[in-house]
Amino acid sequence: MFKSKTFMKRKLMLVFMVFFLFLIFLIGRLVYLTIIQSDFYQNEALELHQRERAIKAPRGIIYDRNGVIIASNKPVCTISVIYSQVTDKEKVIEVLTKELELDEVEVRKKVEKVSSREKIKSNVDKVVADRIREYELDGVMVDEDYKRYYPYGDLASKVIGFTGADNQGIIGLEVFYDSYLSGTDGTINTLTDAKGVEIKNAQETVDEPVEGLNLTISIDLNIQKYAQQAAEKVYTKKEAKRVSVIAMNPKNGEIYAMVNVPEFDLNEPFTLTEEYDTTGLSSEEINDLRNQMWRNWCINDTYEPGSTFKTVTATAALEERVVTLEDGFQCPGFRIVEDRRIKCHKVVGHGSESFKQGFMNSCNPVFMDVGARVGVENMYKNYEKLGLFQKTGVDLPGEANSIMHNKQNVGPVELATMSFGQSIQITPLQLIVAVSAMVNGGNLVTPHFGMYITNSDNEIIETLEYPIESGVISKETSDTMKVLLESVVAEGGGSKAIVEGYRIGGKTATSEKLPRSSNKYISSFIGVAPADDPVIAVLVLIDEPTGIYYGGTIAAPVAQEIFENILPYLGIPMEYEEKVD
Amino acid sequence: MQQNAKSQHTSRKRKEGLLENFFVKGEYFDYVLLFVVFFLVCFGLVMVYSTSSYKAYLEFKDAAYYFKRQLLFCGIGFIGMILISKVNYLKWKKFSGLIYLMMLMLQIVVLFVGSESHGAKRWIQIGPIGFQPSEFAKIGMILFMAHLISKKANVIKKFSELIKIYVVGLIIVGLIAIENLSTAVVVMAIIIIMTFITSPKYKQFFVLGSLAVLIIVLFITTVGYRGERIDAWLDPENHEKGYQTMQSLYAIGSGGIFGKGLGQSMQKLGFIPESHNDMIFSVVCEELGLFGAVCVIVMFIILIWRCVIIADNAKDLYGSLIVIGIMTHIAVQVIINLAVVTNTMPNTGVPLPFISYGGSSMVFILIEMGVVLSVSRQIKLK
Repeated sequence: MFKSKTFMKRKLMLVFMVFFLFLIFLIGRLVYLTIIQSDFYQNEALELHQRERAIKAPRGIIYDRNGVIIASNKPVCTISVIYSQVTDKEKVIEVLTKELELDEVEVRKKVEKVSSREKIKSNVDKVVADRIREYELDGVMVDEDYKRYYPYGDLASKVIGFTGADNQGIIGLEVFYDSYLSGTDGTINTLTDAKGVEIKNAQETVDEPVEGLNLTISIDLNIQKYAQQAAEKVYTKKEAKRVSVIAMNPKNGEIYAMVNVPEFDLNEPFTLTEEYDTTGLSSEEINDLRNQMWRNWCINDTYEPGSTFKTVTATAALEERVVTLEDGFQCPGFRIVEDRRIKCHKVVGHGSESFKQGFMNSCNPVFMDVGARVGVENMYKNYEKLGLFQKTGVDLPGEANSIMHNKQNVGPVELATMSFGQSIQITPLQLIVAVSAMVNGGNLVTPHFGMYITNSDNEIIETLEYPIESGVISKETSDTMKVLLESVVAEGGGSKAIVEGYRIGGKTATSEKLPRSSNKYISSFIGVAPADDPVIAVLVLIDEPTGIYYGGTIAAPVAQEIFENILPYLGIPMEYEEKVD
Repeated sequence: MQQNAKSQHTSRKRKEGLLENFFVKGEYFDYVLLFVVFFLVCFGLVMVYSTSSYKAYLEFKDAAYYFKRQLLFCGIGFIGMILISKVNYLKWKKFSGLIYLMMLMLQIVVLFVGSESHGAKRWIQIGPIGFQPSEFAKIGMILFMAHLISKKANVIKKFSELIKIYVVGLIIVGLIAIENLSTAVVVMAIIIIMTFITSPKYKQFFVLGSLAVLIIVLFITTVGYRGERIDAWLDPENHEKGYQTMQSLYAIGSGGIFGKGLGQSMQKLGFIPESHNDMIFSVVCEELGLFGAVCVIVMFIILIWRCVIIADNAKDLYGSLIVIGIMTHIAVQVIINLAVVTNTMPNTGVPLPFISYGGSSMVFILIEMGVVLSVSRQIKLK
């Protein structure tokens, strides 16, 4: 019988120990992988196995101040095809071509493309999508989605703005309040095999989407409609390039209406309106035109305010106590400043007049004199107080700032022209904010739209607050300015703004656009009502009117029309029954 | 040893016929070993079904396709094992020369008529049956070497005699290495361990061992596609060839301590290519966790330990060496396979004995277990 030798036994044991230690080492390696590295590999693996499908969060609704829906969501669907799951390719192509009214070649290309998921068409109407769903085609996915819908089409289009394909704001309030409105998308996580085929019966995990918050804005749809109608009327009648209207509460800066005619359809924001001729333009040029179309001139552009800016000069003079209403002036129809002869709009001159009459007449020489009395230093101080060096802080993107001379460059000529609103540029919104301060007792408000944020249960989540800088000008100056403004409408150049039964204040302007020889004008009117305690300020701007272009003749009636409609609507009682002559 | 030689001498004198005493009925039978083998094979079948059913369904619309084939091979293997276990293993000595010639012939033939699979010619296709000569080479080499070494046991301590043995072995190993390096390494390891245990020397083996390691390293780094494997091993996450390894690690890592439960593997759904083959252990880890994996490893340790016991108590050196060879075969394959699956060494295709899918491998490994059992039968109880 064989008896293994001792050295063999020893070597046998040695070999066994080597094998044993190897295996123990590998167990150690497994411990490392399954315990210490487990989380890492588990997550990596889950990432590999999971397919995420986004569930879009419904975007918050935008309401007007009375709770009328301005922007909401409409259910639409996205149709896509999963290549590996399609069983009857021809049927799929046929049905999708027919129902979606697409080109067959295009559909075929997408269906036959080897991809995990190919989008055929988005923003498909729900009715069409439901019909497609009824075919029960393998591999055709119908995902519900929301599309932004604006029930009033072009109303306040440049203010409200619109959203892009992935539901994010592109312009206007939709951009500014995007973080509130957009919500958080949810996901459906499904498990798939290596080819991307979903595994039946595998547990789906769903992260619910978080709805966007709702926004209530200060726009009053009725006022907006009145203002827009009035603006459109004058836009057509005067064949103007554009017409803008701002209606704002001068006491707190809430904007009731902001019109920029021509508006565009928010439901078709990429379609250029008929004003734009696109023949022979490159796509880049068309894109530029779109950006033009979307511009909100009340905020994004500056202009030379002209005579309406005399209110600022008057305020500065009153603040600095360099003039009283009764101070006498002489207007020969021009003023020589240094080497320049600066004309009054009335060539023959206004003759002898008081400051108040000069204001009513909108007499340039009077304001040149008053401006000189105030001086550059004090003029700039008052500009500053009326917020003309800073953006208004309105809750819209892309606000422009004023363009002013550097203080050290302002000579007598510049000061003279600035005094009647030339050689400087401001935004329409800056003007209405400055005028508001003049008539509200001297408080600089922040113009705004956003009022409060609510959740889907209509509970207020956040009340939006805006700073008001009080006492920027004195109460006395404010009271005097109200008198001056009312006199312009009652007795001066703004008579076309008279609304029977109401006390209206205002100031007209006719500014010649640069270059001066172009004979293009901006006619404007800033009005406040009731004149003794204004609750509404309206600014009307008519850009490049044809024919008669005087602000008092064409812009004041627009404000009148608006006032006529909205003063009763705002519930402001009439102060007198008959027009007092 | 002398006694043994004497008995051999007398048996030769009697001119015993081949079929005389062909079957033996011994005093002992290693039921523990049989149980472990049975357990591992059944476990393997379950795992093959679990890992292959998805792929099988996609390919053949029959989830049990691979399972049924594997079951058939297991059946053949078991019958073979039981029959072989009854054979008087000493009879194999008479076939040693024939076995060697067959190995030589098959390895040459496969180079010319072999059918390709995964870029290497490893198969001989006879009708519907595919057959891997390298699988035969393992058992063949064990039987042949056991005979050769047991004859040379008294002179093996001479370095020149040792080298002679190696030269005989290396002819076959070299032929295998042309198309299948990992099997060549396994066979070489078997020969080395068998000679190492028989020889009373140590130093020779250390010299030879270091030399062998050096050659292997040189070979790996110089041959193009094998160099890539080293890169993939060192940084599987960022290497394009590291895909399989990363998938295996994902599977092991996501199994955790107790696994996702039998049949719940995600990685087998096409992520691990051929998860029922060489990478099956990663799915074992994913489904049964560290716990299941350690259980399997413990079964292998018991199996190896039973082989050690049988080798130590075998009736003669020949039988002892056969068992040592088979033990080495299983141990080396298990170690390489687990090391590859856990990315402890560069990727190389070695199946996990008893568990991985594969007909040749399963049938031959069971036959080897039959041989071990036949050796165990002739253990004389005191």
